[in-house]
Amino acid sequence: MSSIKSYKPGRKWFKTIVCKVVMVILGRAFQVFSRHDHEIKNEIAAWPEGFTLELNVLPFGPRLLILKEDGKIRTVGEIDEKPELSVNFKNIESAFLILTPLMGVPRGFAEHRFIVIGDVAKAMAFTRCLNRILAYLYPDFLCRNLMRRIPEINFMKRMSKRLYFYTIGIVTGS
Amino acid sequence: MLPSYYEFYNPVKIISGSKALDNIPYELELLNAKRPLVVTDKGVENAGLMKVFLDSFKNSGIEIGGIYSDVPPDSSNSVVKAIAKIYREKECDSIIAVGGGSPIDTAKGVNILVTENSNDLMEFEGADRLKKPLKPFIVVPTTAGTGSEATLVAVIYNEEKNVKMEFISGYLLPNLAVIDPRMTETMPPKITAATGMDALTHAVEAFTCLQKNPISDAYAFSAIKIISHNILNAVKNGKDQKARLNMANAATMAGIAFSNSMVGAVHALGHSAGAVAKVPHGVAMSVFLPHGLEYNLEKIKDSLGELLLALSGPEIFAATPKEKRALKFIEDLRRLQKQLFDEASLPMTLKDAGVTEDMLGTIATKAINDGALMMNPEEMSHEDAMKVLKKAF
Ligand SMILES: NC(=O)c1ccc[n+]([C@@H]2O[C@H](COP(=O)([O-])OP(=O)(O)OC[C@H]3O[C@@H](n4cnc5c(N)ncnc54)[C@H](O)[C@@H]3O)[C@@H](O)[C@H]2O)c1
Ligand SMILES: [Fe+2]
Repeated sequence: MSSIKSYKPGRKWFKTIVCKVVMVILGRAFQVFSRHDHEIKNEIAAWPEGFTLELNVLPFGPRLLILKEDGKIRTVGEIDEKPELSVNFKNIESAFLILTPLMGVPRGFAEHRFIVIGDVAKAMAFTRCLNRILAYLYPDFLCRNLMRRIPEINFMKRMSKRLYFYTIGIVTGS
Repeated sequence: MLPSYYEFYNPVKIISGSKALDNIPYELELLNAKRPLVVTDKGVENAGLMKVFLDSFKNSGIEIGGIYSDVPPDSSNSVVKAIAKIYREKECDSIIAVGGGSPIDTAKGVNILVTENSNDLMEFEGADRLKKPLKPFIVVPTTAGTGSEATLVAVIYNEEKNVKMEFISGYLLPNLAVIDPRMTETMPPKITAATGMDALTHAVEAFTCLQKNPISDAYAFSAIKIISHNILNAVKNGKDQKARLNMANAATMAGIAFSNSMVGAVHALGHSAGAVAKVPHGVAMSVFLPHGLEYNLEKIKDSLGELLLALSGPEIFAATPKEKRALKFIEDLRRLQKQLFDEASLPMTLKDAGVTEDMLGTIATKAINDGALMMNPEEMSHEDAMKVLKKAF
């Protein structure tokens, strides 16, 4: 029986890197649109100061950490405590599907692709913010596949904010 | 149509029928348990059900470690802690819940604390937080409604923090559900009607919401058929054991269905009306179900249309053109609602259920933050929720 070897699986580096990149963009977008979109501002106003939220891929990451500070949203590198709201993708394939974005949050939830730890009401508010962020980032033909109803945002506003984000916001983060 | 991916889990052993209770001692033995703690409430005790339950242990050699019969309506954190203490003091090794959703969910909370040897439920709140099997757990449902005997969910109110804690874990599923028609025959007509409508709502939402899958569909479809055939008989003639047994089975099946295909807007609105205006869960389900289905109609036309066969039978199904079936379902549902109002005074509007108009805004805010909305086929904003609430008022 000496020919039986143990097997140590490797890593999926490509998908890990893609997920990391999308997370960075999403974090930036949340930061920027929380300053430019009233509805998102209102949602966030209900969160306590110092509130933390993470998107995480089990078990090795990547991970995106978001903090509410001075009433605004900011991405951060590390924090000491456990985040108050965690969205944990069960594996890198599921994270890749949702982040790239081939699958929307409702479908992803229905398919058990991530687990939410923390206050459900805040998770619902975060999903509403995410819908608006995605509507700024992506055109309708993509959005239709990602959400049940595309948020009503004035066309000109949506286009100009999109342009702003991809040229300036993404760099300055504000 | 198959979803691109789904999960289904139901390890609960179900024993159902005349004198099913008398098999509990044998089943306890199989679970290697000898000293169960019994969790129930005053209503169940006063209905004489504890006597029937305890009589089934005669001649069995099993000793009941303790009986806790003060569970309040809707489960609470402090009661869970108190019962866990009794469990430890009385050196019990298993739990039997006898009652409706309130004692069952309470017992699930107790099982978490005694297994994890903890005093703080908050540690385990949320999805998949439990990492090992719990103590042997048997459920004897006495209402035919929540289906909690077959679900992986427990909802427990935390009075210190004034929040509802939700626990979701495969380990919360009981080892055994015991359906004995004697246990539901004492339910008064109004509770029979309300809990029956809760079960119907579980099945209809499981079948029409986003997590639907072929296995949960099968349970949901059959549950609706059984409920539609039996709910009026169970309400009109409580002693009708056949109707009672049918309703209890349907409630369990609907529980299995929604444990694997989560409910939607009707439950989101119902949870919120319960929290704000203390509308009993089943009453809220009955009021909201037709309105919720109407709201979702565009997205659920096909699946709801299929359910007309289960609700109204083959003649009506065949006589109704395909594109009219969903609407016909809602129409027939309203007829059932009216019959339950006539027979058992089950409220048909929020106003009759004790809600005042100034509460609607708060209910809407709570509803759009309720997790159940996640699996609703249609998006629901505060404005949308208000529209539905005003119609239901
Ligand atoms: N875990 C789940 O999956 C789930 C699902 C839905 C609801 N729930 C919870 O269940 C609870 C509601 O449960 P419920 O609707 O079964 O009501 P319940 O357990 O609160 O019982 C309602 C009343 O009926 C009485 N009663 C029960 N059985 C009786 C009988 N056979 N004869 C006479 N009286 C009887 C009780 O004493 C009580 O006064 C809520 O707290 C809700 O949050 C849980
Ligand atoms: Fe329910």
